[in-house]
Order: sequence, then structure tokens, then C-alpha cells
Amino acid sequence: MGRIALHDIRKRFGATEIIHGVDLAVEDGELVVFVGPSGCGKSTLLRLIAGLDRPSSGTIEIDGRDVTRLSAAERGLAMVFQSYALYPHMTVRQNLSFGLENTKMARDEVARRIDAAARMLEIAPLLDRRPTQLSGGQRQRVAIGRAIVREPAAFLLDEPLSNLDAELRVTMRAELAQLHARLTTTMIHVTHDQVEAMTLADRIVVLRQGRIEQVATPLDLFNRPANLFVAGFVGAPNMNLLSATARDGRAALPGGLDIPVPRDGPCTIGIRPQHLHPAEPGAPALEGQVTLVEALGTETVLHARTPDGTALTTVVQGQSPLRPGQTLRLTPDPHEIHRFDADGLRMDDPGAAR
Amino acid sequence: MSRALAFLTRRRGHGGRWHWTDVVTWVWLLGGTVLMFGPALWLVASSFKGPAQLAEFPPTLLPYAQIAVPVAGHDAPLPLYEVTGPDGTTRQLAEIRRIGTNAQMVDPAEPGTRLDVDIAARRPVREVGLALDNYVRPLVANDFLRFLWNSVFVTVTATLITLLTNSMAAFALSKYRFRGRDAVMLLIVATLMVPLSVILVPLYSVVNATGLVDTLWGVILPTVATPTGVFLLRQYMLTIPDELLEAARMDHASEWQIYWRIVLPLAAPALAVLAIFSVVWRWNDFLWPLIVLSRRETYTLQVGLNTYAGELNVQWHYILAMTVVTMIPVVLVFVFLQRFITTGIAGAGIK
Repeated sequence: MGRIALHDIRKRFGATEIIHGVDLAVEDGELVVFVGPSGCGKSTLLRLIAGLDRPSSGTIEIDGRDVTRLSAAERGLAMVFQSYALYPHMTVRQNLSFGLENTKMARDEVARRIDAAARMLEIAPLLDRRPTQLSGGQRQRVAIGRAIVREPAAFLLDEPLSNLDAELRVTMRAELAQLHARLTTTMIHVTHDQVEAMTLADRIVVLRQGRIEQVATPLDLFNRPANLFVAGFVGAPNMNLLSATARDGRAALPGGLDIPVPRDGPCTIGIRPQHLHPAEPGAPALEGQVTLVEALGTETVLHARTPDGTALTTVVQGQSPLRPGQTLRLTPDPHEIHRFDADGLRMDDPGAAR
Repeated sequence: MSRALAFLTRRRGHGGRWHWTDVVTWVWLLGGTVLMFGPALWLVASSFKGPAQLAEFPPTLLPYAQIAVPVAGHDAPLPLYEVTGPDGTTRQLAEIRRIGTNAQMVDPAEPGTRLDVDIAARRPVREVGLALDNYVRPLVANDFLRFLWNSVFVTVTATLITLLTNSMAAFALSKYRFRGRDAVMLLIVATLMVPLSVILVPLYSVVNATGLVDTLWGVILPTVATPTGVFLLRQYMLTIPDELLEAARMDHASEWQIYWRIVLPLAAPALAVLAIFSVVWRWNDFLWPLIVLSRRETYTLQVGLNTYAGELNVQWHYILAMTVVTMIPVVLVFVFLQRFITTGIAGAGIK
């Protein structure tokens, strides 16, 4: 079991508050990813859950038990650190057994768990080596192994893939997903990489400056971002954000486009690059001059600038004949338009029921 | 071998010619070698010389010993001399006894005839030989084995306690955040500036009041807490990543286990350096043991050496020989522990 609940967690370092009242419930067996730009407090939040730091106020519950005042060891969680934090003077086997021996576990049970973890992670041939003699990916496995042998209520992973090269990161990401499917233990994974978050998570928690911006499944996050920050943060390339002012339920965009908006006043229209398509000749369209062409083979990313200076990005399938300097005319998919009010909050389009 | 030779004869000048930097390098290195090793080698050579040879001028480099030959009718072998006769011929005679400026001598070949020889007309026959008595007498008869044991006890015990207490202080000062930590650290480092001679009298009062005067513990205990050691270990422990300690905390390790099983093994290079320092300090300590120890049974080597330097008479041959004995452990410590200084194993598991 590993149900983790946070109630109004606040953390101050001196006079500065880093975490401003976080409420969150993580269900048993769920893989939750904390994502956000650096300095958003995601690692701090993880350390508070782990018990390495104490919250200034608020309570943390694991399986309904208040653990706020308990030490890290007593919470029954296991953590994988960003730097792996393997004990350099111990062999891999000793690294795995250290935590178990400290709990006075029987010798054969320790051996059984190490064997099981070593088989699962394919590190059996490495058991008698020291961390210095391992590659980055192998160290990563050992660090995960050290967490697995503890059979914790939940795994806490603090940017576990950030020290790996790009290729290995993709492999390890897939392995982490498989591991979670096999163990079905609660996992909280911290990352700043939105691709990692989208591919791994059951639910994503988007954090900014110590506050939760949105908690949702990856696709909900992509389809219905709750505010401008989430809209800009999730999805690659970034969403096009166009400022407009709505009058009589419609917001006018440059080029004669007219978007229905539920409320009048200043607003922001968000359109993902994937949802901008070449416009029919003569139809109203966003017009811009191509400034950069990024040809990726299967798709092409086009950067353009409208006459009033707004930057536009679009993705077209296949390879584009367009060159910088040429004119691009784009029209948005009417069902894939996001509307945000003056405070940056999502406004739902009453006409588009989803 | 040929590669070693090629390395040694390599020059900066082209075509094997001498560049001026080659000359300077050789002069510098040879001069340095003589300066560093010369005194030590001369000390070792001189420690094997007898008292008469030490008093000689000009001094000789190598130790010589006079040859003694067995002569029929005499129990002990007699010292051999080369005697120049009045006619200019030389012959080798053994001395039986000396009377004033004359010596009664005998030819080992004809033990029956005794000759009277002016001591100015003879010269001792010598060969390179070692006066081992310089070593044997102090060690066997003059309690030097006892002094040696005392020194070893003081050094080993003091070093072990130093390593333990200093590493614990350093651990707390480097890995825990508490009010006044920096003030404590500053205070400890500030005591570096107080020389022993300033606190000699109060320190003696404390040792006296605790009844430790004239015991080896009186030498050991006041020296074990060294600011240098705390500072050195703390600076090293700061480089041990906090994440390792946090990982251990997640692994159910108590703070004591973290210290003993994580921090101490990782601080091994710094501990080795401090161990070397501590051994050298305690072994070479003279002033403090001289003050605390007054019974001969409790003397350390350094204090024991001092007993050979009397007001009227300095027994150089014993001092030199025992100085060599006192040098050996320090040299051994450097030989065996120096590799620890250069190896750092902390941080290896990180990245």
C-alpha cells in the first residue's frame, strides 16, 4: 500500500517561503510525475515527502497515518537520488544490503531480495564491483535496485535520468515504465523534462514557484491546460500565444480571423503548432514571413513572424518546400483553440463540448 | 635499462648538446639531493663511529674500527698498531698496555718479546667497521628499549585518540547545521595561534591537579585535540556529498552508523594525512614530555636522548645512534602511508 496525501504543505527557508500550501493526494500504485521549471520546488516537495526535510506547516499522510514528524527511515519510502548517491567504498552487493542490514533483517532474506532485484534489473554480474567501475546506466540500475530491495510503500525518484546521455535516457525511461507496471508500487518521479513526464506518468503535477498549477493525466494536460503557464510548458514546440481583445463574444486575430470567446475583455488565444494548417487561398488566415525552417525529415517545424511582430510556429507533416523569407498563410483547427482570460486562466468555449 | 639511461641523459639542447637549463637542472637536483639526504646519511654513518673517531679532526666520512688480533698468552684480542721504527722501517705490533707516553707492545708473531714504543711513533691499523656497541649498550643497559616502548605507546595511543575525537568533531562541524557552528569552528581554528609555551604553566597545573604528572597519559591526553586535525578533516568532509548521508538516512542508518560506516571510510585519505602528522608530532615531542615525565621509567625516546647530553660531557656516539633509532619509525610511516595522501575515493560514486 502506498497512498500519500499532502495537506497544505508549506516550507520556508529563513524568511523566504519556497512551497506555498500544496494539497495533493497520490493513489496507491499510481505513477505521479512532478514537473516544472528549475526552482519551482519540485525537488523540495519530494524531500519533504521523503522526510529529509520537515515542512514548516501542513501534514503528510501515508496510508492514512500522519508521518509529518517521523524520520525518513520510519516512513517506509525509498528514494533514488539524482546523483545516485551510491556508497563509493562499498561493492554493489553491499550497497544493496546496507539498508536491509540496518533493519536487522535475516541474512537469507537479504540474499533473497538482492538476488531478486539483481535478476529484475540485470545487474547480477556487477554485484561484486564498486560503483566507480560501473557505467552511468549501470549505476542508475544499482540505485534503483537499492530502492527495490527495501520493498517500500512508495518510490521517490529525484530526476533519476538527468545524468544519462540522451539515448540511454530513452531506454531507461522505457525500463522505468516497465518496472512500474511490474511492481505496481506507488512512484513519485521528479523531472524537468516534459517528454519524460508525458510518457511515464499516470498523472502529472505541474508546479511553478511553489504552487501546483494543474494536476491531470498527460493527455488532459495537453488537451485542456488550466492556464497559460501549463499551456506554454506542455507540448513541443511551444504553443502559439496570441493576445487579443474580445468584444461581443468574439476576439479578432490579425489577418481577419475571428474566434468565439465566452467573455469579453483582454484575452489570450493559444493554438498548438500542430493545429495550424495552411489556409485556403482567399480565406482569412494568419499571415507571416518564414524566418527559420527546421527540417526533421518526417515533419518540418516552421518559424514565422506576422507583420505586427508576433512569432508563430507551426509543424507540417513531411518535408516543406518553403524557404525563409517566403510568406506563410495559416488557419487554426477551430476545435483545438485554447482561450485564456486576462488572469491567464482557461475559459471554456461553450460551443465546443468535449 | 637502456630506456632508463636514455631518460637520464635526455637533454633539452639539440643533438645531445648541453643547454644551459640542463646544467641548472642537474646542479639544482644534485644540490638538493645532497642537502636533503646528506645530513641523514652522515648521521647514519656517524652513528657507527666510536667516541674517539667522532672527536677526530678532520672528520672521516665512513666509520672505521681498529683491528684487534689474538695474541698467545693474552685472554682478549689486542689492538693492532703500525709502528715506525727509528730506522724508518714499519711493522705491525699489538698493544698490551700504555704507560705514560710509552706503550708496551708485542709482535703477534713472537708473543714472547715485549717492546717499549713511543706512542707518537705509532698509528692505529683500521678498517671500515661498525661500532655496534653504540646501539647495543643504550638499548640493553640504558633502558632505551623501555623508552622506545614508551614512545611507541604514546604515539600510537595519542594518534588513535586524535583520529577518533577529531573526526567526530569534524563530522559534526561539517555535516550538521546548528546554531553557533561557525563560531565554534572559528574558536577551534583560533587556538592554532596560541603556542605551547604560552599555555605550558596552566596546562601543567591541570595535569598536576588530575594526578597525571609522571604518567604517559599526562603526555597523551593534553595533545589529542588538535585544531589542525579538526580543520583538515572538516575541510575534507565538506567534499563528501550530503546526498550520500541522506541515502544512508533513508537506509535506516543511525547517525552513529553514518559516521562510522559512511563518513569515516570516505575520509580515509584525510585521516591518513592526519595520522602521519600526529605520529610525527607525538614521536618528536620533546618539551611537553620533558616537563611531565620525571621518573626514568616513564621517559620517552626524546627525553631519554637528552640524558646523554650532560653538563660536562656529551656522549655523542650514543646520541647519534639513538637518533637513528628514533628516525626509523617516522620514515616507515611516510613510506607506508604516503600513497593515501594522493588517493581520494570520495565522490567516485557521484556522477
